[in-house]
Amino acid sequence: MADLLTAPTAAPGAAPSPPRARPRRARRNTLIGWSFILPNFLGFALLTLVPVAGALALSFMEWDSYNPPEWVGLDNFERLLRDESTMIALRNTAYYALGHVPLTMLAALGLALLLNRRLRGVGFFRAAAFFPYVTSLVAVAIVWNMLFNPEFGPVNQFLSWLGVDSPPGWTTSVDWAMPAVILTSVWRDMGYYMVLFLAGLQAIPTEHHEAARVDGANAWQRFRAVTLPGLRPVTFLVLILLTVQSFKVFDLVVVMTDGGPGRATLVLSQQIYRRGIIEGEFGYASAISLVLFLLVLVLTLTQFWFNNRRERS
Amino acid sequence: MIRRRMLAAVGLAMATLLPLTACGGGEDEAEGGPVELTVAVWSLASTPEFQTLFDAFHKANPDITIKPVDILAADYPTKVTTMLAGGDSTDVITMKTLADYVRFAGRGQLADVTDLATKPESAKLAGLDQYKQDGDKYYALPYRQDHWVLYYNKKMFDTAKLPYPENLTWDQYVEAAKKLTTGTGDKKVYGAYQHTWRSVVQAISAAQNGGDQLGGDYKFFAEQYRTALALQEAGATQDFGTAVTQKTGYASMFESQKTAMLPMGTWFIAKLLSEKKKGTTDVDWGIAPMPQRTGASGVTTFGAPTAFAVNKKAKHAAAAKKFVEFAASIEGAKAIAGIGVVPALKTDEVLQQYFALQGMPTDELSKKAFSPDKINPEMPVSDKTAKVDTVLNEEHQLIMTKQKSIDDAIKEMETRVKNEIG
Repeated sequence: MADLLTAPTAAPGAAPSPPRARPRRARRNTLIGWSFILPNFLGFALLTLVPVAGALALSFMEWDSYNPPEWVGLDNFERLLRDESTMIALRNTAYYALGHVPLTMLAALGLALLLNRRLRGVGFFRAAAFFPYVTSLVAVAIVWNMLFNPEFGPVNQFLSWLGVDSPPGWTTSVDWAMPAVILTSVWRDMGYYMVLFLAGLQAIPTEHHEAARVDGANAWQRFRAVTLPGLRPVTFLVLILLTVQSFKVFDLVVVMTDGGPGRATLVLSQQIYRRGIIEGEFGYASAISLVLFLLVLVLTLTQFWFNNRRERS
Repeated sequence: MIRRRMLAAVGLAMATLLPLTACGGGEDEAEGGPVELTVAVWSLASTPEFQTLFDAFHKANPDITIKPVDILAADYPTKVTTMLAGGDSTDVITMKTLADYVRFAGRGQLADVTDLATKPESAKLAGLDQYKQDGDKYYALPYRQDHWVLYYNKKMFDTAKLPYPENLTWDQYVEAAKKLTTGTGDKKVYGAYQHTWRSVVQAISAAQNGGDQLGGDYKFFAEQYRTALALQEAGATQDFGTAVTQKTGYASMFESQKTAMLPMGTWFIAKLLSEKKKGTTDVDWGIAPMPQRTGASGVTTFGAPTAFAVNKKAKHAAAAKKFVEFAASIEGAKAIAGIGVVPALKTDEVLQQYFALQGMPTDELSKKAFSPDKINPEMPVSDKTAKVDTVLNEEHQLIMTKQKSIDDAIKEMETRVKNEIG
């Protein structure tokens, strides 16, 4: 109350009246700035933010997509812990990520080191390594499935030529289906991350390498002391991108194995799709996607935290 | 300055207008006048029955034109689920499977057509019972009903000097398949091709043993799995794993004469007739009743109806009902029988027309296969169907790829159905 009474008398003296033109122009500039990001932001808000918020709310409800949703509290999450298929999907997703992330990084880095030199036709080899990434994923999955055919597939023919007695059953075997999926996805993705690593390699000043060479460092020492530290920002980016991508894996698995045989390659996003779109339990499916989201969030934050700590030290 | 202001204006205008355009379109309800009826169907180009029905209906009702809403067959159930959830006003929705029907009807997304279903003409519709909901309500009317038969390649039976597969037991079926298997590598011809669907083993087993696929007790599957594995171990059918990884098509297996026998639904007849007419295959084929259990009397097989339903939010409800009634009527049945599709209304008149089709095998065995003594439902329907289906399918894969023994997998089916679905 006192403020209200005193404020009018205090105000004129306290704030010197600013030149009128400047805030107006500043405001206009801000408005113009907003208008530029508005289309994009509106699209994001309408098509991503609202559905995400909706899914968050839905994970505490039961909804068949048609009749009004019903509030069920934490039931969906309780059920999630008891649902064997969801737990298997969680394990399989982690398995996939543990295989896909390091292998793709290794393959991409190896390719980048190999192709980061002046060499006849290097452009061709780079394009060849990138080519799998621009190929339609469905085609990749179907062709690899045929390559992995246990009886007539070239993969197993090659293995038995090498002298392997009983080559694996790949996508027809519970134990080998996931490795087959991982190998296919590494083959597909390595070209893309190779390009990122190549850009990172070219950003490392050549002077550093020269200095190390003058000091008598061999190739391995140069790689450990110069190349790897120089690549850290890119490596971190690749790690984050790959982790997020791995946890979201869906299309490759659906086309290649459709989660089978049995539930050997069932992954989380597929389980969300099955429970939600196919079985019509959108509340429960939203609860699983919330868990997936939190999982990816925690992992990404941990990686950020590690990276910051290492950068500071 | 001016340019910048203009840019800002354009940006704002775009931003505000874009979402608005999505809300266009209005209602134009004018019953009585010319009506454009929308019908949701799948893969129109490769499913000729739809256009045939539309043409016949338009001929009978010249003031109603039909605009198909064409959806890719594999995406059909999910697409329709999304459409209906979004309040779509497509008038007629084709019920591709009973499971979809139960879900849509259960959510109250379909209009009540009990009055059509209880008309005396409808009593002869095969499979009508399976659409009964809440005791006495119907939300769809079947227009076709397929059942499973045994397709066979006559020339291969002649070459092997074997009699055509009449009244086979499952053991005889395996024996015949072994004898009909010839060649190796690219030249390999299988005695039988068992497609990878779980119904090939489970539905026929349930139909012939009287088992309940929703019941949670699956011991009755065991015998049929032994048959399927025996066939596979003898090399008399394509290995399940190979069929899955190569995405083997049952149609191309039979049409390119890579198999002598093929258990499959009657929907394959229409495709065979049209492929033969086009000259893409010259297989000399016939149909026989499905093999039976030893000591069984009569012919028991399984089948599934297909129906049309009226969307509860249909723009033209009256015209939509008219279409649903027409498709199930004798005119509709004759129209689709004319292209080799099996109508739900199987009167003598319709059957006669069916077997008079050019290219249709007319021997007695084929006719017998067409009228089995009993057609049990492929899968009983309830709100649990979709979930049980997933479980049974996953364990089916494990048995057929030999990752689990028959007994272990059946036990697993039982515990999973009990624990996960209850």
